[in-house]
Amino acid sequence: MSSTAQTQTTPAEVQRHVRRLSLSRGVNELGLLAAIIVLYIVLGAKAGGFLTSGNQLGILRDAAQIGIAAWGMTLVIIAGDIDISIGPAVAFGSVMVAKGATSWGLGVPLAVIVTLLIGAAIGAFAGYLRARFNVPSFIATLGVYSALRGLAQFISNALPVPLPDSGFFDFLAGSVAGVPTPAVVMILLLVVFLVIALKTPYGRAVYALGGNPRAAELAGIPVKRIRISLFAVNGLLAAITGVLLAARLGSGNGGSAMGLEFDVIAAVVIGGTALAGGSGSILATALGVIFITLIGNGLVLLGVNQFLQDVVRGVIIVLAVLVNVLLGRRNRLTS
Amino acid sequence: MASNNDRPVARGAGSERGSDPVARTRGAVRRYPGVLALDHVDFEVHPGEVRALLGKNGAGKSTLIRLLSGVEKADEGTVEIAGTALTGGGSREASQLGVATVYQELSLIPQLSVAENYHLGALPTGRGGLVRTAHMKDAADAALAELGVRVDPGTPVGALPVAEQQMVEIARALRGSPKLLILDEPTSSLAAAAVDVVLQAVTRIAATGVAIIYVSHRLNEIRQIADTASVMRDGRLVETVGTKGASSDDIVSLMLGDAASATEATARRTSAPATDRPVVLSVRELAVPPKVREATFDLHEGEILGIAGVLGSGRSELLRSIAGLQPPASGTLTVFGERLRRWSVRDMIRRGVGFTPEERKTDGIVPLLGVDENIVLADRSSVRRGPLLSGRRQRAAAAKLVSALSVRTPDVGVPVGALSGGNQQKAVIARWLHRGSRILLLDEPTRGVDVQAKAQIYELVRKLADDGVSIVFVSNELEELPLVCSRVVVLRDGAIAAELTGADITESAIFAATLADGTGSAAASTTGESQ
Repeated sequence: MSSTAQTQTTPAEVQRHVRRLSLSRGVNELGLLAAIIVLYIVLGAKAGGFLTSGNQLGILRDAAQIGIAAWGMTLVIIAGDIDISIGPAVAFGSVMVAKGATSWGLGVPLAVIVTLLIGAAIGAFAGYLRARFNVPSFIATLGVYSALRGLAQFISNALPVPLPDSGFFDFLAGSVAGVPTPAVVMILLLVVFLVIALKTPYGRAVYALGGNPRAAELAGIPVKRIRISLFAVNGLLAAITGVLLAARLGSGNGGSAMGLEFDVIAAVVIGGTALAGGSGSILATALGVIFITLIGNGLVLLGVNQFLQDVVRGVIIVLAVLVNVLLGRRNRLTS
Repeated sequence: MASNNDRPVARGAGSERGSDPVARTRGAVRRYPGVLALDHVDFEVHPGEVRALLGKNGAGKSTLIRLLSGVEKADEGTVEIAGTALTGGGSREASQLGVATVYQELSLIPQLSVAENYHLGALPTGRGGLVRTAHMKDAADAALAELGVRVDPGTPVGALPVAEQQMVEIARALRGSPKLLILDEPTSSLAAAAVDVVLQAVTRIAATGVAIIYVSHRLNEIRQIADTASVMRDGRLVETVGTKGASSDDIVSLMLGDAASATEATARRTSAPATDRPVVLSVRELAVPPKVREATFDLHEGEILGIAGVLGSGRSELLRSIAGLQPPASGTLTVFGERLRRWSVRDMIRRGVGFTPEERKTDGIVPLLGVDENIVLADRSSVRRGPLLSGRRQRAAAAKLVSALSVRTPDVGVPVGALSGGNQQKAVIARWLHRGSRILLLDEPTRGVDVQAKAQIYELVRKLADDGVSIVFVSNELEELPLVCSRVVVLRDGAIAAELTGADITESAIFAATLADGTGSAAASTTGESQ
């Protein structure tokens, strides 16, 4: 219009701004850490058996159920998308591996491999709908959600499909040096995803396209390919979780992992990853996973009514997001 | 500064009819921080008159419009609508007195029907508070028919061509039977062929006794519909002339004033044109509907080629198409000797072409990522160690460019969104230098940037050209083209209409060429013709 906008920013302002920004990031993670410590103190005092090693290992095992998928979910959300199909994808994976290893006669190794591949392929399909046709990822994965739950129940006749006797499944259900195997898998994957998110061109491209997809596209980043791959990875992680779940239960179960997507998304969001995309941290998600798992475990130990547990979890996730929104508003970039 | 009462009050054709003015300003002053946007302006317009308002960007046209439509209040002086002085009651007060304004950006809701848009904010309701759909459609239909437009009022507005959307917008502005209708560049987003619809409607509206203020850069349009034109410059109303009497040259020189010749004398680029150097990019008959019909030009090695044109001439569309963002309808592109019929953004990047978009914030930067990551975004292979990114190499690569381009940032890790506009722009340019691009397409690189940063960007662009980088420089601010470009092509009516080189690149010559009105009097339609 009339005169050119003056957007002069002094270095001092920039510095102040940057300090505030990094402070708020730290505050979020420190706050979560403090909340976890408080939970430990309160539950240790109030909930009988909370601090026993058996319960602590149980917490780790439960955490793996959420955590493995949460690493991939963090990247999906940083990219500005969402995947709500985790629960059914896990159940479907557990049924697939059980069926494959038994009535379909694939044998255990092949059944596991096929399950993981199909999981990744289904995720890639949802990602393709998102990337190629701009179907909102919420809708694409909502469709997958319904279809996979139905398929899992249909294939299994809504009955548990027992696993065959297998040293491999025993290993997955067991532990490595005292640590439950799923927890070991979760921690290994945590390291892998930390490196991907922070250190690889791929991971940084995810941040770039979540922060500004148009700028990323203009910089030559293959936005579509990355979007598809993110959902494929999420499908793969859900399938891994499904195999681990089947090994733990001794059967594939089409009705299992009900509402798991809620816990996974809640863990990511409590960790401070914004649903708008562009920012977030795998490490903070790990804290979110611990937080969510502790709440679940504590509510059980405290003997809270099962239905009221859902109420409490609902309130907590909204509160956590509210805190993040308020922090974010205070620190929005003044650019 | 006292009001200049001795300045002649601008009198339009309507005043001869002896009617009272619909709108009048007396000694109107409006200041913005550091700028005197309106400097004692006396202005009046009469019923049935079409008054063109002309001037460069920043001459004060928009400010005058904002005062008349009540959006802003004059710091000094008075603004009267139909004899009543505005008291600062906002646009509501002005609209109650009979002012309706149609801004450049359309304010329609594309998903809603023509009828609903026409009645927006005042849907006719009947018994039980329900919308009277049939009545609503009839009223919209009748209003549009008055303007000479026939569309099904049930059509979603988004499905109409832009010209007809513009007509819906104008019809809506007329709904309250205004006495004064202000049209701010109503044709700037239209292709040349679609302009007639709007012009005819304007003539019809004026015939009903409504006064019209018509802002446009297109002199030929103004000649067709306006009786008189008020020319603004540096916040002052310089003169009001009859459009029939004044030549385009006269009007152009009124708009530019003495300032043009002054800037032309200073700091111009002196290096010889690079047209003898090899051609690195050649564009042949590129068509990007609806605005660009066929653009043909060459870019030479180490050359800074300016592309000028009025707002809506298709400058950005042309550049975006070359960058691979918008596939052209036809035409070819030859990049470093390789002829292409279809190309994507990534094809162009791979061939060494970097594009910095006009909308820096929405298209250029990733605000939350660091300056370093933004700079290496287009090429991470050189900052890797094995499969992993090396933070150290990334910082080192970025730091080199940050100092070469003097990007002001406390640290290369600072989120780029925290920097000022000029520094963000330099970071985006640095991205392509890091990528090793040899051709840069810069779309409005100095937009929203402060004066000092502008000078630095000019300096940077010249230095890059001296290093052999070839640059296409698109700008809306004509005064900067003579400062940086070694050659300028002018886009008008969808094609390259003029080319200026060397000493012929003056603000007034470019300006005249962008406005040329078909009579050819002011058009520098051939190479070498100067002001």
